[in-house]
Amino acid sequence: MIPIRINRLNGAPLAFALFVAMYIAYALHMPSALSLFSITNLFNNTVVLALAAVGLTFVILIKEMDLSPVGVIAVTNVLVATQSGSTPYGALLCFLLCCLIGLGIGLINGVLVAYLRLQSLACTLSTMIICQGVALIILPAPGGEVAEFISYQLTDLIGGVFPVSAAILVLVAALWLFLRRTSFGIGLYAVGTDEVAAHYSGIKVNRIRLGAFALAGIFYGLAGYMLSAQIGSGDPRVSSSFLLYVFAAVAIGGTSLSGGRGGIIGSLAGAGILTIMQKMLFSLGVSDFYTNIFNGVIMVLAILLGNSTALLNKWREHRENFASSSYLRGREKQAGSKQAEATQ
Amino acid sequence: MFICGSDNAPENQNRDGDDESWLAMNAAPSIKIEHLSKRYGATVALDDVSFSLQPGEVCGLLGENGAGKSTLVKVLSGVVKPDQGVVWLGDSPYVVKDCQTAKAHGVATAYQELSLIPTLSVAINLFLPNPETNAWGMISSRRVEQMAAEVLNEFGVGDISPSALVEDLSLGLRQRVEIVRAMLSKPRLLLLDEPTAALSDREWLFNLIDQFVLGGASIIYISHKLDEVQRVCQHCVILRNGRKALEARVKDLSSNQVFSSMAGRSVVEFFPEKATSVRKAEQDVLRLDHLSCEGLQDVSFSIKPGEILGIAALEGQGQSSLFKALVGLMPLKDGQIIINGRPRTISSPRSARQAGLVLVPEERKTEGIFPDLTTRANISLPEIDKLSAAWLVQMNKEKEWVQEKAVKVDLGSEYIPLPITSLSGGNQQKALLARSLLTDPMCLLLFDPTRGVDVITKQTIYKIIREFVQGGKAVLFYSTELDELVHLCDRCLVLYQNAVVAEVPRGQLSQQKLLSLATGQLSNRTQDGQVAENKV
Repeated sequence: MIPIRINRLNGAPLAFALFVAMYIAYALHMPSALSLFSITNLFNNTVVLALAAVGLTFVILIKEMDLSPVGVIAVTNVLVATQSGSTPYGALLCFLLCCLIGLGIGLINGVLVAYLRLQSLACTLSTMIICQGVALIILPAPGGEVAEFISYQLTDLIGGVFPVSAAILVLVAALWLFLRRTSFGIGLYAVGTDEVAAHYSGIKVNRIRLGAFALAGIFYGLAGYMLSAQIGSGDPRVSSSFLLYVFAAVAIGGTSLSGGRGGIIGSLAGAGILTIMQKMLFSLGVSDFYTNIFNGVIMVLAILLGNSTALLNKWREHRENFASSSYLRGREKQAGSKQAEATQ
Repeated sequence: MFICGSDNAPENQNRDGDDESWLAMNAAPSIKIEHLSKRYGATVALDDVSFSLQPGEVCGLLGENGAGKSTLVKVLSGVVKPDQGVVWLGDSPYVVKDCQTAKAHGVATAYQELSLIPTLSVAINLFLPNPETNAWGMISSRRVEQMAAEVLNEFGVGDISPSALVEDLSLGLRQRVEIVRAMLSKPRLLLLDEPTAALSDREWLFNLIDQFVLGGASIIYISHKLDEVQRVCQHCVILRNGRKALEARVKDLSSNQVFSSMAGRSVVEFFPEKATSVRKAEQDVLRLDHLSCEGLQDVSFSIKPGEILGIAALEGQGQSSLFKALVGLMPLKDGQIIINGRPRTISSPRSARQAGLVLVPEERKTEGIFPDLTTRANISLPEIDKLSAAWLVQMNKEKEWVQEKAVKVDLGSEYIPLPITSLSGGNQQKALLARSLLTDPMCLLLFDPTRGVDVITKQTIYKIIREFVQGGKAVLFYSTELDELVHLCDRCLVLYQNAVVAEVPRGQLSQQKLLSLATGQLSNRTQDGQVAENKV
């Protein structure tokens, strides 16, 4: 049936198409956008948002909310800014520390939501506020210094041709393509779609929930690590509006906020779209003040586009039903209107 | 008549019978339910139910809505814990924490509400929770789909594509996948909860059941269609109000016996005198002309002033769609609603109210009351605009209006200022009736208004309905309790499989008759019977 195929167009492919279209438009306006430097720059600007959005996607997929990304990012950022030595060893240690902190906070969120049955929005709001407080204790004012090793190596190119940030994103995508096909990945969709049916089907719903939050935490930790590499210093007050961008990236990427639909790849594209939007507006000389307006409009458009196929299908279905029912009435209502099953 | 006794109780031999070959124990019952009880708050869902099943036996479980069938399924499949009672599986007690352990013990369920995940493929759904994975823990969709295709072929539903998403399948096909999945795990006890609700080809299931029990497994088959029970079951248990009303071999049972055991109410209630007030000569208050919408096919009827028109139907036969369509909660595919001779477009409960139709909804807690408001505010809410001047609610006027309606429904004035949640269910229902009377509707749509209501309040509700129609108004009345329909209605329509299968005039109303029509038994004897038969 045709409508089914159209349905599949939702989400990731659409977001990617939009991203490519925007990139082409940008390149037409600014030919220098195709240089290696620009591309590296684009990836560097995207990677933090992308990692955070990837983390959030796991949580959104299971139909929960998570406000803790900015908290985790703040803590890990100030930690890297104060603790990273100047050796590769220190960089590695910081990396592990970031992952562990993210994992820890994710596990706390997960236990609160899965086993204590608290509302995810409320308890991740609390963990976010706690984390921001902890960040202020570690580093009361913006400052500190991130080891040069981190800030140079992670924003550079591999072998002079491939941006490190891009490599990270490719790794993340590969990890997702793997995860998606494991029992855990299927569990994410099952729990997000219908928690009761998932439970009846024998899926360990709470474990999936815990896993999703834990994994999300790790990705927020990684995002904090990459942010430190980008800005080279610590800032305990990662702006709260960043959180909204993370949600925007997920939504633009076609992951349904009501759970069970979407995926990581779309969120990566969503993060790309938001970044390139900023660059386009900047290159056009649009004032910073207007950027948010455009971002909002883009988000609505992306969601509308994602839904348009569904709306189209609904409309078509309605029309078919209407046509068939009046046809039936014209023919004295043969008992044939239940043929739907037979035709499939 | 052969009544299954509770003798030869197996001793608990302290063995973990899980992996034992249960075929060897065909002398002992494969499952034995002893004194199972479960209550939810004040409602007794199961009350001391005991019966047993032999290996290879299919046991029909019959009962009206709310008789306790679903609770029994939930207990056996590990969804809810019983308050009392033991279930023996083979010779070991069967204690389940959750659905996973139930499956591990060899109890699988095809749920009425289906437990498939819509956004996953048929193949993955079949093998949940743990589809086969390769060495890296990845699921090869090709491999899984291949296995699924074999399974689907084996079960005679090879036309379902294993890669299709469940949400793209029709309800009937989903039901088949659900059944295949339950049978796939080769359980020793299979629970089929209304397995034919969405099936057009019942023979498919019956053949599967015949093959399935050859292996020695037992089936509990829940249905309220008697012909199905007669076709597949050897013995049957009838539940009523949570208690076992009858247990017998199917071939020894007559339809009448079944119906009277299912329908007989324990309390014979007092009904107001049946003085009809139908004004036949006048114009129809409400007329439906070939109404069709999702879950409802080509329904036509009309109600005269002063008439109480009853709707009798078992669960999920389209009555909910009918009531929703009448107040604009369900888009019409076809047909017309004509009120007082004028065709009306009803797009929302608000416009229905303006046209003179008011619904008292099914779910009092979620669709009826506003739990944070007082009883008075709950009653006056739909007309709050008329009670306001310059956007401020005129308290005195509101009090007056509410008081006037409260008297009509016998709601004590002491309850009116209280939060509605502090009222009993019966008083809440009276408040909702007062709300529905507020705008002087032409026709009240009452969806099971006496559910969860005490006996005294029931009497009051009957009285309200009678008084309402005596003023030349009309009532469309659905109830799960057939005796109410029999005693209260001037005429009764029977819905079966989303269509009207019969119209029973006042003189012929009886519980037995309604029940047999509602179970699809008598459909071919009525003039509309042909329609129903073709759809089965």
